[in-house]
Amino acid sequence: MSEKRHKFSRYDSAKFRNAFGVLIWVVTISMSLLVVRMWYLQVIKGSELRLQSENNRIRIHESKAIRGIIKDRWGVALVENQPSFDISIVPGAVRNVVDVVRALEAVYGSQGLEFRRDISAAEKNRPFIPMKLARNVSWEELSLVETNSLNLPGVVVDVVPIRKYIDGGMTAHILGHVGEVSQEELKADRSGLLKTGDRVGKSGIEKYLDSYLRGINGGEYIEVNAIGRKVKTLKRVEPVPGNDVILTIDAGLQKAAWEAMEGKVGSVVAMDPRDGSIRAMVSSPAFDPNLFNRGITLEEWKKLSADPFRPMENKAIQGQYPAGSTFKIITAAAALGEGIITPETTFNCNGSFHLGNHEFKCWNKKGHGRVSLHRALVESCDVYFYNLGKLVGVDKLAEYARAFGLGDLTGIPLPSEKGGLIPTKEWKLRRFGQPWQPGETISISIGQGYISVTPLQLLNAYCAIANGGTVYVPRLIQRVEALDGEILQEFTPRIRSVVSLSKEHMDAILRGLWGVCNESGGTGWALRRPEADVAGKTGTAQVVGQKGRWEGVKSHDMPWKWRDHALFVCFAPVDNPEIAVAVVVEHGGHGGSAAAPVARKVIDAYFRIKAEHDKAYRGEKSEI
Amino acid sequence: MKFDRRLLLNFDWGFLLIVLAICAIGLLNMYSAGFNLPGARGASPCLRQSLWFLLGLLFMGISFSIDYRDIIRYAYVIYGVSLVLLAAVFFAGEVTRGTQRWLSLGGFSFQPSEFVKLTMVLVLTRYFTVHEKEGKYSLRELVVPFVIVIVPFLLILKQPDLGTALIILILFVSVILFIGVQWKAIFIASATGVLLMPFGWLFLKDYQKERLLTFIDPQGDPLGSGYHILQSIIAVGSGGFFGKGFLKGTQSQLRFLPEHQTDFIFSVFAEEWGFIGSLVLMILFLALIVWGLRIARQSRDLVGTLLAYGVTMLVFWEVFINVGMVVGFLPVVGIPLPFMSYGGSSMVVLMAGMGLLMSVSMRRFILQP
Repeated sequence: MSEKRHKFSRYDSAKFRNAFGVLIWVVTISMSLLVVRMWYLQVIKGSELRLQSENNRIRIHESKAIRGIIKDRWGVALVENQPSFDISIVPGAVRNVVDVVRALEAVYGSQGLEFRRDISAAEKNRPFIPMKLARNVSWEELSLVETNSLNLPGVVVDVVPIRKYIDGGMTAHILGHVGEVSQEELKADRSGLLKTGDRVGKSGIEKYLDSYLRGINGGEYIEVNAIGRKVKTLKRVEPVPGNDVILTIDAGLQKAAWEAMEGKVGSVVAMDPRDGSIRAMVSSPAFDPNLFNRGITLEEWKKLSADPFRPMENKAIQGQYPAGSTFKIITAAAALGEGIITPETTFNCNGSFHLGNHEFKCWNKKGHGRVSLHRALVESCDVYFYNLGKLVGVDKLAEYARAFGLGDLTGIPLPSEKGGLIPTKEWKLRRFGQPWQPGETISISIGQGYISVTPLQLLNAYCAIANGGTVYVPRLIQRVEALDGEILQEFTPRIRSVVSLSKEHMDAILRGLWGVCNESGGTGWALRRPEADVAGKTGTAQVVGQKGRWEGVKSHDMPWKWRDHALFVCFAPVDNPEIAVAVVVEHGGHGGSAAAPVARKVIDAYFRIKAEHDKAYRGEKSEI
Repeated sequence: MKFDRRLLLNFDWGFLLIVLAICAIGLLNMYSAGFNLPGARGASPCLRQSLWFLLGLLFMGISFSIDYRDIIRYAYVIYGVSLVLLAAVFFAGEVTRGTQRWLSLGGFSFQPSEFVKLTMVLVLTRYFTVHEKEGKYSLRELVVPFVIVIVPFLLILKQPDLGTALIILILFVSVILFIGVQWKAIFIASATGVLLMPFGWLFLKDYQKERLLTFIDPQGDPLGSGYHILQSIIAVGSGGFFGKGFLKGTQSQLRFLPEHQTDFIFSVFAEEWGFIGSLVLMILFLALIVWGLRIARQSRDLVGTLLAYGVTMLVFWEVFINVGMVVGFLPVVGIPLPFMSYGGSSMVVLMAGMGLLMSVSMRRFILQP
């Protein structure tokens, strides 16, 4: 012990003096390095890492806005929102996810589950974020899952609103459909509200008024912990429901038109000639817009797009046809308006018309004899209008056709409208580099040749005859209303152009159209109602390039795709027209036999519905 | 041992103040770290840590009351007890998360490996004072202390507890470099170490290898093994200059940060108190270390110098490696931050160590050369 004390006493700390000097430096520099690193992380990269920590903890649980309702003119809903059910699993709430999914498969059937067995590391770290297993399950499947919920821990059902198009294909081409927003639509979005996965209008009114209908999605900003379990709600934004749209369509008339077109390919449009309001618009065959709700499969889409009857197309505004004999009112108007004929001017029809060494036949080979404008319209004498066309010339015909709104977009508030074509001399030179042939004018005068129009354009032109010369922009939407009834936008009738034709000349044409339906020999006999109040015109449009080839062959003996298109346009009551209808039956054969009966059903339905509404209105009044 | 009035006069109040300041910060921070822990049954982590702190104060008092030379005299006995405890861990230890580190004694469980850290300082002090030498030590003269160190080192590595094993090795190197080693010895030892490294890799557990690889490329697997370090960096960095405020650190409160009360306690602090708070804490630690080195320098005997130096270096290395790991400077190894990390063993052992430092400090005037 004493020896050791002695040892201590010999101690000289000078030996370590240098070592301590170095040590102080080593320690200070080491600690400074840590502080420099902290400066880098906390001050230089501080805001960036602050953002990362915010992203770590905040999640947005979106609640989708409910889309606005689309109603007919009487307030009848044409589309509703329906709850749709998605099945998800919360992996963190289950001991073994695969076991539960297997149990679910046993209950639900193994088809259609989106579950992937290879859960990513990210999902493993966020076990309280639900994973989608199945979308839009049926009521039966849902109730199966719910009754077995004891065996299915962690399985949750999300309610998502989806569109329910009450009448399916009947209103498909007016209302359109919705689908998931595309990359292009996201880029084009100026509101900045659209996000991937949102559903937007893809066609029809759904697309045209999407910004009104869509509403604004809300959501909850929730704070989550590291495993994704909710800690608290930071902020809640209620979704703003979309606005309602009231159309000019009459659901009852739409239904009548739809039923009248059953089994036919073509379209029906009905319009109020007094203000251009569209009352019905049917294109047949149609697609079921409800198909797009659950995300259309590739197979279904292929089937729709490969269908030779083009169900996706709205034939009323996208189908372009030769106007056929329905064009004769334009030829008549041009001849009258230019003073070339009077209503009393007559031409002789012996069944054909010669220009140079070319012969143009009348549909009636026997000929109509000497006919005035009235008889020519009633019997649809081709030769009479060949004469007019030759005298008027193609450019004047085109001028009048355009004044009536043919060959140009009508401006209907629907996407993808087609313009059609009214040829002129200049057009042909530009298009083909060839001068106009006089014989081509002859074809144009009865609505054949290069002419193509849409059924809606045709209807618009006839409405101008019906109302004394005003061409309206077709009106499909009455107004947009907020949920509280506030009117956000009113769509008043808009005049597109006024045809400058004297009342006398207008009347002459109108009387001729009345005769078509009500006089003996008239081609529109199908519209001979007891009230004798319908005026109209048949049309039979030859399919382009088939002229002459099937001469003498009865329509129903030809192959379907080369048969003539059947057209019919009419309005009623003739003295004060309030409804006009255009019908095109593709490859239907004769306008009088194939298209006119469809128009008849629509006209009848119109007056029936009108009577019902009047009765209801009177009943309301008497109660007061 | 009779009481000397001079002991009280020379009591190192300044040093005690630094230690208490760090402990106070540690407890405050533990309150925050435990604030949102749903699993804390009974006493909250802060309360438990406070109890450990009080126990630590008791041990501190005991260790500065006793003459450190008397303690060093029993260093080999203490060393023997340490080895027995380490061995006992293998037979009676609790297994938590695949490692066997804990020993249960009458309701308390403690970590012998923490105890071993201080034991190494004591036993090395003892060895190098008994075998004191005027010149530098040769390789052959270092064989015995090496064996003394390598036995607990291997036992701890086997638990496995890479962090503590590493600390023991670094302490050994620190001590021998301090007392002086021949250049030849240094060269041969480091060459051997480098050659043995590939074999060492084979002995590492998979998770340890992963941690080392993660350190090299933390973005490689941000949700796997890199998750730890990435979340820690986000926590520290998101504190910014002034911090998010007490109890407002989202990274720790929402438990994005794993093990945030133990090895990653510093990120909790840095997130809530920012650069300013971190700087203050670093200055306090630096002050403690420099003060400790001054005590070592001012000691009137080799025992005091080596003892104070060893304890101070233990604190330094733990602070440097732990904080370096939390700020993404060094690989993730399990080393607690002194006085800050949750854990009784570390707290009590370190407080006892602080007591030894104060003991050396206050006895420097009594001891006559």
